[in-house]
Amino acid sequence: MNLNRITMLLVGAALVAPVASQANDDLAAKIKDSKNWAAQAGDFANHRYSSLNQVTTANVNQLQVAWTFSTGVLRGHEGSPLVIGDMMYIHSPFPNKVWAYDLNTLQIVWKYEPKQDPAVVPQMCCDTVNRGLAYAEGKVFLQQADTNLVALDAKSGKVVWSVKNGDPKLGAVNSSAPHVFKNKVFTGISGGEWGVRGFMAAYDINTGKQAWKGYSVGPDEEMLMDPEKTMTWTDGKMAPVGKDSSLKTWKGDQWKIGGGTTWGWYSYDPSLNAMFYGTGNPSTWNPAQRPGDNKWSMSIWSRDVDTGKVNWVYQMTPYDEWDFDGINEMILADIPVHGKETKALSHFDRNGFGYTLDRTTGALLVAEKYDPAVNWATHVDMKTGRPQVVAKYSTAKNGPDVNSKGICPAALGSKDEQPASFSPDTKLFYVPTNHVCMDYEPFKVEYTAGSPYVGATLSMFPAPSASKDQKDGTMGNFIAWDGGTGKIVWSKPEKFSVWSGALTTKGGLAFYGTLEGYIKAVDAKTGKELWKFKTPSGIIGNVFTYEHKGKQFVGVYSGIGGWAGIGMAAGLEKDTDGLGAVGGYKELNKFTELGGSLTVFAIPGK
Amino acid sequence: MFRTTIISAALITSALVGAQVVQADDAKPYTVVDGVKVDAKTMEGFRVWREANCAACHGPNQEGLVGPSLIKSLQVLSKDEFVTTITAGRLERGMPAWNANKRVMDNIDSLYAYLKGRSDGAITRTKPEMIAQ
Repeated sequence: MNLNRITMLLVGAALVAPVASQANDDLAAKIKDSKNWAAQAGDFANHRYSSLNQVTTANVNQLQVAWTFSTGVLRGHEGSPLVIGDMMYIHSPFPNKVWAYDLNTLQIVWKYEPKQDPAVVPQMCCDTVNRGLAYAEGKVFLQQADTNLVALDAKSGKVVWSVKNGDPKLGAVNSSAPHVFKNKVFTGISGGEWGVRGFMAAYDINTGKQAWKGYSVGPDEEMLMDPEKTMTWTDGKMAPVGKDSSLKTWKGDQWKIGGGTTWGWYSYDPSLNAMFYGTGNPSTWNPAQRPGDNKWSMSIWSRDVDTGKVNWVYQMTPYDEWDFDGINEMILADIPVHGKETKALSHFDRNGFGYTLDRTTGALLVAEKYDPAVNWATHVDMKTGRPQVVAKYSTAKNGPDVNSKGICPAALGSKDEQPASFSPDTKLFYVPTNHVCMDYEPFKVEYTAGSPYVGATLSMFPAPSASKDQKDGTMGNFIAWDGGTGKIVWSKPEKFSVWSGALTTKGGLAFYGTLEGYIKAVDAKTGKELWKFKTPSGIIGNVFTYEHKGKQFVGVYSGIGGWAGIGMAAGLEKDTDGLGAVGGYKELNKFTELGGSLTVFAIPGK
Repeated sequence: MFRTTIISAALITSALVGAQVVQADDAKPYTVVDGVKVDAKTMEGFRVWREANCAACHGPNQEGLVGPSLIKSLQVLSKDEFVTTITAGRLERGMPAWNANKRVMDNIDSLYAYLKGRSDGAITRTKPEMIAQ
């Protein structure tokens, strides 16, 4: 059986290979040229690493502002621009404006602003963010909030094609960036708080025609799962998932409104012809209404890029009781794992565990806490792959209308969407983290199509200090992580959650932004802070770098918002209990104000 | 409707000598004992507030977030204006229309009673409890 499968794979690879080598070499070549920032993560593997090395640990303190650009939009600015040659493509949160910006003249070449129904705005759970654009073969791809996926001509900004990816009237909206792998553009869906059933969809980059769509939950054929060939970690080894692997973990038809949305950063390994991503929380947040493991919510997925067939899947948090939405990025890195060179996949989950898997087979290799505060589970049983839940933090055991107190991490996780970086120089991961705990009280909620389907009240507050360097009351750390052993190498405390995407460079640097609005550079080896600059607003965007006319630039969006920063508009006047995400972040008012802009830095004269 | 509430509140008052009681009348659609215990209708209003996830925009304590403070808004809005806002929404400002949500529409008076009680400062805790029967 195994031999047959290997033979089939080899035959398949031989047939597919000539097509693969032609389709979209353009983007692969543009990514390889480190002058560009051609994809949201800079590459297919989610490394967020640049081999540019003009800016180094020795001269980073000379970085100064080169130019700035206002988006004219308030609310949270996530993601980053793209750079293709002399052109930068800049985006904004809702209403999802796009600009082509000429780096030679610093002039706007074209601007695109879609017309979207404002009814979409209140359907977005955690601010009206948009995580950026994708580029391939002369087209810029925009995933609008109203789920329309649009291909724009990169030269003119004219719409080449547009396709509707979901129904916003049912709460299906989009905040995530589209991703191009080979000749397809991939997009998921948001709406786990509206009972939206998650899926991954692939569209042809030239026509917008849907190539495949695979759901996160439900019947095997709708998930594109083969009960005999799709593998999962079972009793310490990989085994087929078997028939109805999702359906039999749900009560009745709950899976139809079961969540498992897909709004993270996806990655792609050309050598495996596979793409990787995570699925989100099961709906509702009240576990009493959905007994069972709720597969395959909260899972890591490997799918064939061309067909969508599921190679393997691993569920991190069976029967979620805390909203530990599993969508965070999968970083594909070749690293030693317990001393053995491995084609690995590393992932920092909302549930507070840093996972390393064999990305070829899906085997579980490492699962360790990446914040010492994590308390909801003692550990992950490496044989079953299941977290060992601590009874007093089980909101299901405690039941509806009971407030389970002191759960770490909070629902926004030890890390949320803010993406980590991998440096092939140090072989370490650089992870922006939250250091926040919560009280969680589930309650019964009836499903109404198009209405919120949350079913829990949360209160969030700073976690107890994680190290001797960390003051009580602080809410974040920027850490370096060894994915092969599952250990924190160094940890740099921050006052607030670090909610910006990290960047590492050949210059020995790691960059990130803070909610107060600082962009910072640290020594990737030690975590020592070497440079910082206060931008116009809090940073939840991702740091990126590019080269233009022989000079290296580093840039980042500022514009406070997102789940952590949404309280900025609150203007709360007094301390009260039950403040949810607002409570701990209330002090942000002392540091920053709303407003979207891009700040780009360079070393003068260099 | 109000009369029933007043009678039950009066019965409770006689049982709870010394308790601070705010009784429902034309201006006050809620009954509150000691700031935290409320009548069944007002309690249902709290449940609807919670289920409709209003806190996501208006804040966990109704003091505002990306949406306005309901503590302040209900000092200004008439009952009719409140009902119109809930039913039709204010789409351009991010407030959804709830006209298709039966749970909200069937309990709009309860929701008003609860939020009015919070706005008036009569209900002193976001999550109240039922007056003991």
